[in-house]
This record gives sequence, structure tokens and C-alpha cells, in this order.
Amino acid sequence: MRIVAVDPDSCVACRNCEYACAFRQSGDFDRRASHIRVNFYAEERACVPLTCMHCDDAWCLEVCPAAAISRDPETGAVQIDAARCAGCKMCLLACPFGNVHFDRTQGVSGKCDLCGGDPMCVRSCISGALRYIEADEAVDLRREVLDASLRRLLHLDKGEK
Amino acid sequence: MPPETEIQQTLCRMCDDRCGIDVHLEDGRIVDILGNKAHLWNRGRLCVKARAAVDMVYHADRILTPLKRTDEGWQQIPLEQALDEIAARLAAIREERGARSIGVWKGEAIGFGQQENIARRFAHAVGSPNYLSNDSMCYAARYFGFKLVAGAWPVPDLENAGCIVLWGANPPYAHPNMTQYITAARRKGATLVVVDPRLSAIARRADIHAAVRPGTDGALAWGLIHQLVTAGACDADFVEHHTVGFAKVVDYAKAFTAEAVQAETGVPAAAVRAIARAMQSAAPRVAAYVGNGLEHHENGVNNIRAIAMLDGLLGALDRAGGTFFKAELPLRDLTLYEDVPLKHLGPLGAGRFPVLYDLRRECHTMTAIEAILQDDPYPLRALIVTGANPASTNPNSTRVLEALKSLDLLVVRDLFMSETAAVADYVLPAASFLERTELHAHAKHQIVSVTRKVVSWPGVQGEYEFWHDLAARLGIGDYFPWEDETALNRWLLEPTGLTLEELEAHPEGVEYSPSLPGRWKDTGFDTPSGKVEFASQYLKDLGYDELPVYQSPAYRREPDAAYPFVLITGARKLLYLHSRFRNIPRFLTAIPGPEVEMHPDDSEALGVADGDTVRVTSRIGSLELPVKVMAPNEILPGSLQITHGWRDANVNLITHDDRFDPISGFPLMKSVEVRVERM
Amino acid sequence: MQVTIVGNSAAALSALEGFRERDQTASVTLVSAEPVPAYSRVLLPYYLRRRLSYEGLFIRQMSDYARLRVATEFGARVERVDPATCELELADGRRLGFDRLLLATGSSPARPPIPGLDGPGIHTLWTLDDATRLDSLFREGARVMVLGSGFVALQAAWAARQRGLQVIVVELLDQILPRVLDAAAARILHEQLLAYGVDVRTGTRTDGVETDHDGKVRVSTDGTGAFAVDAVIVATGARPNDGLLPECLEPGKPGIPVADTMETSVDGVFAAGDVTRGPTSAGGPREIHALWPTAVEQGRVAGANLAEAGVAYAGSLSMNVTEMFGLTVASLGRFVEDDGDDVFESRDLAGIRYLKLVSRAGVPVGAISLGDPEGAALLGRLRPFVRQRRLLPDLPTFLEGRDLGQRLVGRGAIKEKTPCA
Ligand SMILES: Cc1cc2nc3c(=O)[nH]c(=O)nc-3n(C[C@H](O)[C@H](O)[C@H](O)COP(=O)(O)OP(=O)(O)OC[C@H]3O[C@@H](n4cnc5c(N)ncnc54)[C@H](O)[C@@H]3O)c2cc1C
Ligand code: SF4
Repeated sequence: MRIVAVDPDSCVACRNCEYACAFRQSGDFDRRASHIRVNFYAEERACVPLTCMHCDDAWCLEVCPAAAISRDPETGAVQIDAARCAGCKMCLLACPFGNVHFDRTQGVSGKCDLCGGDPMCVRSCISGALRYIEADEAVDLRREVLDASLRRLLHLDKGEK
Repeated sequence: MPPETEIQQTLCRMCDDRCGIDVHLEDGRIVDILGNKAHLWNRGRLCVKARAAVDMVYHADRILTPLKRTDEGWQQIPLEQALDEIAARLAAIREERGARSIGVWKGEAIGFGQQENIARRFAHAVGSPNYLSNDSMCYAARYFGFKLVAGAWPVPDLENAGCIVLWGANPPYAHPNMTQYITAARRKGATLVVVDPRLSAIARRADIHAAVRPGTDGALAWGLIHQLVTAGACDADFVEHHTVGFAKVVDYAKAFTAEAVQAETGVPAAAVRAIARAMQSAAPRVAAYVGNGLEHHENGVNNIRAIAMLDGLLGALDRAGGTFFKAELPLRDLTLYEDVPLKHLGPLGAGRFPVLYDLRRECHTMTAIEAILQDDPYPLRALIVTGANPASTNPNSTRVLEALKSLDLLVVRDLFMSETAAVADYVLPAASFLERTELHAHAKHQIVSVTRKVVSWPGVQGEYEFWHDLAARLGIGDYFPWEDETALNRWLLEPTGLTLEELEAHPEGVEYSPSLPGRWKDTGFDTPSGKVEFASQYLKDLGYDELPVYQSPAYRREPDAAYPFVLITGARKLLYLHSRFRNIPRFLTAIPGPEVEMHPDDSEALGVADGDTVRVTSRIGSLELPVKVMAPNEILPGSLQITHGWRDANVNLITHDDRFDPISGFPLMKSVEVRVERM
Repeated sequence: MQVTIVGNSAAALSALEGFRERDQTASVTLVSAEPVPAYSRVLLPYYLRRRLSYEGLFIRQMSDYARLRVATEFGARVERVDPATCELELADGRRLGFDRLLLATGSSPARPPIPGLDGPGIHTLWTLDDATRLDSLFREGARVMVLGSGFVALQAAWAARQRGLQVIVVELLDQILPRVLDAAAARILHEQLLAYGVDVRTGTRTDGVETDHDGKVRVSTDGTGAFAVDAVIVATGARPNDGLLPECLEPGKPGIPVADTMETSVDGVFAAGDVTRGPTSAGGPREIHALWPTAVEQGRVAGANLAEAGVAYAGSLSMNVTEMFGLTVASLGRFVEDDGDDVFESRDLAGIRYLKLVSRAGVPVGAISLGDPEGAALLGRLRPFVRQRRLLPDLPTFLEGRDLGQRLVGRGAIKEKTPCA
């Protein structure tokens, strides 16, 4: 299964992904409508995109008392059927990453559905921090990222001392 | 019946990045725009501006019929009538005041590639040397900085670099897809150094962020030169055989000790040394890129020259992982500078800023404004503006507007009623980048593409058609013999050995010559001496310093307590390009208006909070806008930033049209002395 | 092997699915007293509010059971379990054998000891039948009294109010939602109920109920006197349906005690869901957490262990969320502070009217959020820390209230594949 893998060490918090997702969800650029959220901590210069990982044991899916959450057989995406959702928000409380969001206008929960297999957040990510890749490739990506930061850590003196 | 769907591949021109796009159509109407996965540059990735082209093309406010100013307001008139009347008035002005009182002004609003040369051709055909453009405020100063030193502005080989140094450049917002090359290099272990007074988007990923005071980049560059020279990090062989003026450089650099640099730029001495070490250990795989942030200063070109010299010292020029000289696409020359030279007529600004005209054939737009208002050095009475909005983007907008209004004839071609169009005599509908077919070369990958005319509107002329039809009416039709854009494109391509059909078959671009580093080894560098010029005889002959001597910015040299802040303007935002796209509703949802970015210490001292309105006043003017309090490391204390292009709170109301870089003639817009008052 | 599951709700279904993930061959039978495929109790108030259709209440179709290859006995009440013969006895007299048994019989509404509570006009909101009955009673202008002010009570009140009824809520204790909110949050919600036109009486004891010949119900209370209403909804809590296997109960304590494997003290018999008294994530004595998520979790564990997976339950953590009277009400864990706890409290932060976080030595133990739905998501992010008793590294910053929505997400949460529960 392919997932949206995230490399915070490449993210510049430009928010293209948020806007692209919000646009797909709502036709507007209100970031609150986006299912991917980029947390930016200025002082630490940390940029952390967060989006659903479509967990193997997706607790939101299991806990939904309306059976509104299911896994798309083709993409593997954990998705919410807005027509079934009662808006009870159990899934919001279930997700340990805050990746389920509540749509106030429709009164239903929403989350990433991988855009049916062509996620717009990735298509709009100009830094390459988001990639739509096989889950095991994501592990390689993480290794690559770790390697690079380690190498820099060892060799780079930032002149801060 | 289901709609007929189709995908047409072309290039995005919502900014200057030229990403490959798939334009999705339903029954001939554009419904979506996605990245072209086959395009070498963007590889399917696309920023959210691109999709907004759908909204732009079908925007309810688009100008689709010619408008004429009358006493009763705008009157819609037929295109033929508009062209006839404009031609008649141009002819009369040419008759009365001479051809050089007619100017042609090109801008960015409709995303030109090679077609800007049609406007240059027209100016000379009509007999005027006065071709004006946005380039005299963007791009040209950087071009000069590198051209004067290395003979060309090389392109950084980002993905192979060991150390990337960005000076006053914020690719995520200005050249979005350049970002993926930078992050890819970092993933391979490259060090990223970002020199910027602000924590820009790319600076968030910098390994070293050097927050220089605005306009002091040259001091840092000289400091790095000093470090590299004393560390023996220079490519001695290259320096000896392929450069001139090294001894003078070594000598002049001596004053720029790390401590002196710290005092001038605010960058800690240890950081100066660390940057030098990072460059040294990566050399020659050091890729530098300079952004517009360095141009709008009184010392811009020399600051950039000092940076360009670093490439020469490190032997990074035209080397893998360093910077590449790119072969030009050998198109036919559409301009008439050879056939109809008009330098003797005194192109506006060519006397004051000879380099601007010599090296870029650009007139000086600020001088043009003076010519309109003061008849100095001679009158400029008519302007044909295509896709430009100087009323918003040139400095001292009040004066620009005054000038534009006082013209005998102002014709503006645009998609929308811009601030400039609003004061025109005639406003003509322009064709957006999706409505024209035009040649574009992509510098990085040495590929050429022809864009597609995806949609069209009845009565909306393409760029070539317009100039062609106007020329015919002015008796200079012979200069525009091609039937249409396509015929012109065919003619332009002739010397390249490529055919239009080939380009049409390859919307992802056709490589016009392989990227080969080291071309200079056969030909020498494209400078007067054929070498990398640390010291420039050419400049010396024109009366400038031969070395890029560092000049401290005025706000530091002669601080004025009445204007205690230094204002940076024009930092790009993700969703806007200069004065464009403020009419895309969802963009306004995301970024609703202008604000002045401020350090928390300053906002505290002023007693203002986020969102409070302040008045910002320079020696030119003042404007009121809300405050945006940044994190302490996002902007330097004492520095402010206001992005340009907003109709309300247009920051160019307070930028300088009276202080320039002496070489490029670029106006002072990025280290403007201002004061701030709480409202 | 014959596996038999009694029950057809959260615990039973999770167990069934968890079992089938590991064992595709064993024969499985599911017995339920109710005659319909599974529906969701949690959704009953949404149905009454007209937020969901009747069809929307059902969470499984017959095809789902077929897909899981389970034999169903709907409308079959189990009367007795005989552990010696490994047999169930149904109300119709049939006996079903089993090798392994899961009791997921849930709970029923408690009936407080108030005289007259079994007469006509007295209702509960627990089953599908209850909901359809109430639906026909919910006529605009009618007057109902809700006894109790727990989750079910207030959701019933909210539904009735939305349908245009006059509503009185009577609560014996001094605050509403005593098990879900602390006093401060309860006060805010209380105000909200009043603002929505609900007559709320806390600290009020109901002394007796009488039904007139004209169908009116007269309720007498201490202090505030008597009320005449069209119906009374009793919602004063739940008691586990734990009568099937008296041998495994502990004297004087309701609920079937279970080990972390969900096994009862009787060999081969498991229990899950509302019917159990089970381990909690905080450690300490077993508790009844009669909540949907707990039933799902326990069902999962039970299902796995019916297939001999040897899975241990990490213990339940009470968590509640619902929307009523225009507020998202959410709480988690232990939200009433003890001595030595740190408390972070904020009002009106980013649309969250009331936010409270209780922690001990840097480890969050419970929280309440009232207001914006994002508060529920915030509690969700906190949940792993509470549950695994993990130090929240950014707790000091969090407590300062900076950057609230974002701080909770550990930077380390950037993983590709995660089991999230
Ligand atoms: C109106 C209402 C609203 C609620 N809202 C929430 C909420 O918002 N959040 C939350 O967490 N929880 C809520 N709950 C609680 C939640 O519904 C229960 O915790 C959950 O349903 C427990 O699931 P269970 O499988 O253990 O038992 P139950 O759902 O009680 O199911 C028991 C099953 O066993 C069957 N059964 C019982 N006895 C026998 C027998 N002798 N023979 C055969 N079959 C039998 C029943 O028919 C039923 O199928 C609510 C409950 C109600 C009534
Ligand atoms: S909010 Fe909707 S999707 Fe989420 S748990 Fe509730 S019913 Fe399911």
C-alpha cells in the first residue's frame, strides 16, 4: 500500500499542501478544511506536516459507532463516508495524531482519503517533503533523511559556539 | 451526454518558474490544471498558483473588449476602431514630438517568454529607442553582477552541490519547484546556507541562516573572500590562469575580518567562519544563487559582484555541483538593435546608467517617469503598456500615477483593470499564457518548449497579432511580415535545427543542446578580457570602481533618528506574484491583505500588537497598514518587511524613485529608512 | 471448534472480526436477544434528533455476517449458561453447545428505587425499540422529564429539545454530568442547557411517580414540588447484564470480572464490553467502563484470545465525546485533580470554552474540553500519553498555553506506519 510519507527535514511550511487539500475539500483556501496540517515552530525552525498514515490498526475505523469509516480496497485509504457519519466525533478522540477533523458546516468528520490514489498534497508539494510511496520505501526515505542529518551533525559546525 | 474531456500539456506562467502542466478540459473549457509528471523541471509537482489560472482565465472581471476613456467613463469600442484611433494618435505624436517620445513598456502580467521581443521590435520599428520593462527593477542587476565578473549569469547545479548558498532568495515562494532540488541535495548531505535578514521559508531548512542587516550582503561576501583567501582555499590554478585582479582582491579583502563583518552585517564572526568552512570543504561543489533581495539597494550590483567572485575563487564556475553556464537557445533575433540602431536618439537612462542599456538594452523606467513629468532629458508623451502595472510596482507610485495621467496617450493591454489600466486612454484585452503560443527556453535543463493556445476568446488578440496590426496602421507593417504567432515561431526556430512539430510533440520540452560544463575552456569567458574579472576595466572606463568596493547602506552610514527603522519591501508571498492574483477569492481567504512584519521587541516598544494599525513613513510618503508580529528569529529587530502589490496600502507609495544603484540604476526599495507610528 | 458469542453490539462484533482475522475455519455462532442485525446504541439520540435516518442506525447487514461466516441467532434470548456441559439455554428452550463462549451482553438502564417507576409513561433510551417508541412520543409542545443527567440523559434531553418539546432535567447530585465533567465544566454546560430553554434541577431528589388515567405522569420531588409531564425518561445509569453466569461474579459487585485476556474465572468463557468489570489503564482495581470504545477494545482482545492469540489488554481509559446544546463535550481519564497534581485550565482559547488538563509529574492523567470540536482532537492526541503514562515532553510549553493546538504532536510522530491504538 502507498502512503503519503513525510520528510520534515525537507518541509519549508509553505502550506501548498494545506491549500491544495482545503481546495479539494471545500473549494476555498481556508486551511481549517485541510486534512493535512503543517505545524511550524518558528523558533525551532521546525516544520512538521501531519497527515493520516492510514494505520494498519486504524482505531478511528474500529471505534466509529456508525460504521462510517472503512478502508478503500484499492488505495488502502481509511476513509469516512459522510453519508453515514453521525458527527459524534468519536474518531477525533480516537486518533492519536489529530488527523481527523470536523467539518462544522456539514456536521461530519473528515479525513484524508488519499484523493482516490493521487493525493493533491503530494502533487502540490514543491519541496519534495511529501511523497506518495510504498510504505516500505518510506522506511528507506527515513533512513536517507537520518543519514543526511547525521552527516551534517558530524561535519557541520554552524558557528554557534 | 458526458462532457468531452481532453488534456493539453503546456507550461504554467503564473510565475516565472515555467512548470510543465496538464490542462484538463471539458467540452473545450479548462476545468483543472495538474503538474505534468514528465516535465524535467517540476516532475509533476505544482504550487497552488497554477490551478488558479483556471479562475484567472474565466474571471468575471476580465477585460474582453477594448475600452476607451470618455467624459462619461469607459466606453466599449470595437477592436478595429481602437487600433485605428490608437494608431492615429501615435502617428500624430510621432509627427509632433518625434518618434522617441513614444515608449513601449512590457511587464509580467501575462507571462511572456520570447514574445517580449516583439515589443522591442515594435519600438525600434516605430523609431523609438525607448523600450521599458520590469527587468530594470528585477533580474538585470543580478545579471550585471555575474556578467561583469564571469561573463554570464550561471545557473546553480543544485542537485550535485555540496554546499548551497542562497543570497536574498526564497525559492519556495519565488521559484517554487527549485525547492525540491535544494532539499534533494540536502538529503544527499549538502549544507544549505541562507543569507537573508528574514527567516524566509527556505531559511527554515537552512543549516546556517545568516541574518544579515538589509543591504550588507557585500560585506559578508568580502568577509568570506577574506576567509577563503587566508585559509588558502582558493583554486590557485584557476585564479592564476583565468582571472584578473586577484592581487587587488586579496588586498581589499583584508579589511573584512570576521569581526569587522560581524560589526557591519550583524552575522556573528563565528558564523562567518563557519560559512567559509562549509564552502571550503565542499569546494568546488559550491552552488550559489542570488535572489531579488540583493537588487533593490544603492550598493546592489557590487554586492552581487562580490558574491560572483566567490565562484571564481573557489573554481566553482562551470563545474558539476557548482554553477553552470548554459548555452543560449540560438533563436533568430527578433529585435532590431543591429538593423535599426537607435542609441544616438538617447534611450532613456542610457546616459545615466550606461550598463543598463549596454548589457541589457533596457531603458530606465524611473528616468522615463521624469521624462514624462519634466520633459527631461526630452519629452515622453505616449506609452503602450503590455502586461505591466507600474502604477503599483514602480517606486513612488504617487508620482508614477501623476506621470501616467499626464501622458498624451496611454494604452494598456491587460487581463484586468489594473491600477495602470485604470488611468489609461485605451485598455485593450490581452491574452493570458493559456491563450498564446510562444517559445520558452528553460535555462536549467536547456530545454525549449512551445506553449499551446489552449483556449481563446473572440476579439482578444495575441501579443504578436496586436503589434502586427498596430504596425500595419503606422506604415511599419514590413517589420511584421509573419502571418501569425505560429509562422513567427517557425521563423524564430530556423537556426536551431528544431521544428515546431517536434516541439509540439514534446510538451515536456526538447533539449536544444546537452548541458556540458567547461564550455569556457575553448572560448574563454564572455568578458572583455576573456577571463573572470575580479577587477573590471570596463567599469573603470565608465568611471566606476574597478573592484566591487563595498559601500555601507545609507541607513547605517548616516543614521537619521527621524527614520529609525529600515524597511524591506517586496518579499514574495506564496500566492501572489507582484500585483497579480489579488482578485482570486480563495487567495484572499488565505492571505487577506498587506501587513508590516515586525520584530516582537519593536512591536513591544511601539506598544502595538498583532493586527494593530500603524503608519509607516519614509522620506517619500506614508501608508497605514496592520502589524504582523513575527517570532524573534523571523526578522531582525529594527527591520520591517512589507510585501508589494496590494491596491490598498501599496508599499511603493513610500519607496524611492530618487536613489539608485549607480551601475544598474535599480531603485532603493529594500533598505528604506522609515519611521513607524502607532495609530 | 465451536465458538459462540452472546451479544450483537460493539463488543460482540469486534470480537467476531478479531477472531476471524486469526481463525477462518472454526464454526462461529452469534446469539442476540434482539431480532435485527446490529445497530448502534450510541446513535439512538442522533436518530431522535433526526440527524440520522432509521436505516442509518444499522451498522451491519446480513451480508456482513455471511462474509464472516457466522451463524446468527437473532431474537434468541439466552436464559442460562451451563459451564459444566458447555451449553447455552435459550428462551425458546433450545440448547446450544460451545467450546468457547464470549458473553457480550452489555448493560441495561438502571432503575432507581423510586416508587411508581414501572408504570406507563415511563421510558428509557437504550434499545432500538425504546428509540422508536420515544420517536412517536416526541411531539412538539409535549413535556418530558429526564431523570438523571448523564450522557444518555442529556442526549435525550437535547434530542427532545431539538424536536420542540419542553424538557425538565432532574439530577440528584449538585452538578450535571458528574461522571464526565468536573464542576466548572458542568456549570458551563448547565448554563448552556438553560440558554437552550431546558429546565434543569440539580440537587433534586425524585420522590415518587404516578400515572394519571389521562396518561399524564405526576412526578413529585423534594423541595421543588410536583410536575405533570407527558413522559418520563429514566436515564440514571446502567447496570451490566451479568446474570447469565452467576458463578463468576464477585459478591456484592456488579459486572463480570475479567482478566487482561478477557477471560472470566470460568474456563473457556470470555466476557467483553459493558457487562464486564475490567482492568483500567491506570492500574488499580477493576472498573466498569460502560463505553463504546472500551467495548470495542475489549471485544478485539477477546476475539483474538478466542483464537488463542494470547493478547493482553492494556486496560481501558474512559473517554467521552458528544455534541449537545451547541458544544462539543469531551473528557478523558481522571480529570478531577488530587493533591500533588498539576492543573492547567484555560477559558476561551481558540473556540474552546473550557480546557482542563490534569497531570502528575509531567504525565497527563486526564482532560476535559468543552466547545470547539478541535478540543476533541486535542484530547485524542493526549490520549496515548495518558494511556501509556508517558511524559509529555512539551508539557511546560503546553501549560503556558502557547501554540496550543500544535504542541501536543511529538516531533517523533513522523512515522510511516503506526499501530495507532
Ligand atoms: C442512548 C445511548 C447513548 C450512548 N452514547 C454513548 C457515547 O456517546 N459514547 C460511548 O462511549 N458510549 C455511549 N453509550 C454506551 C455504549 O452504547 C455502550 O457502552 C456499548 O453499546 C456497549 O457495547 P456492548 O457490546 O458491551 O453491549 P450492548 O451495546 O449493550 O449490547 C449488548 C448486546 O447483547 C445482546 N444481549 C443482551 N443480553 C442478552 C441475552 N441474554 N441473550 C442474547 N443477547 C443478549 C443485546 O441484544 C445486544 O445485542 C451510549 C449508550 C446509549 C444507550
Ligand atoms: S464522527 Fe462520524 S466518522 Fe467519526 S466516529 Fe463519529 S460517526 Fe464515525
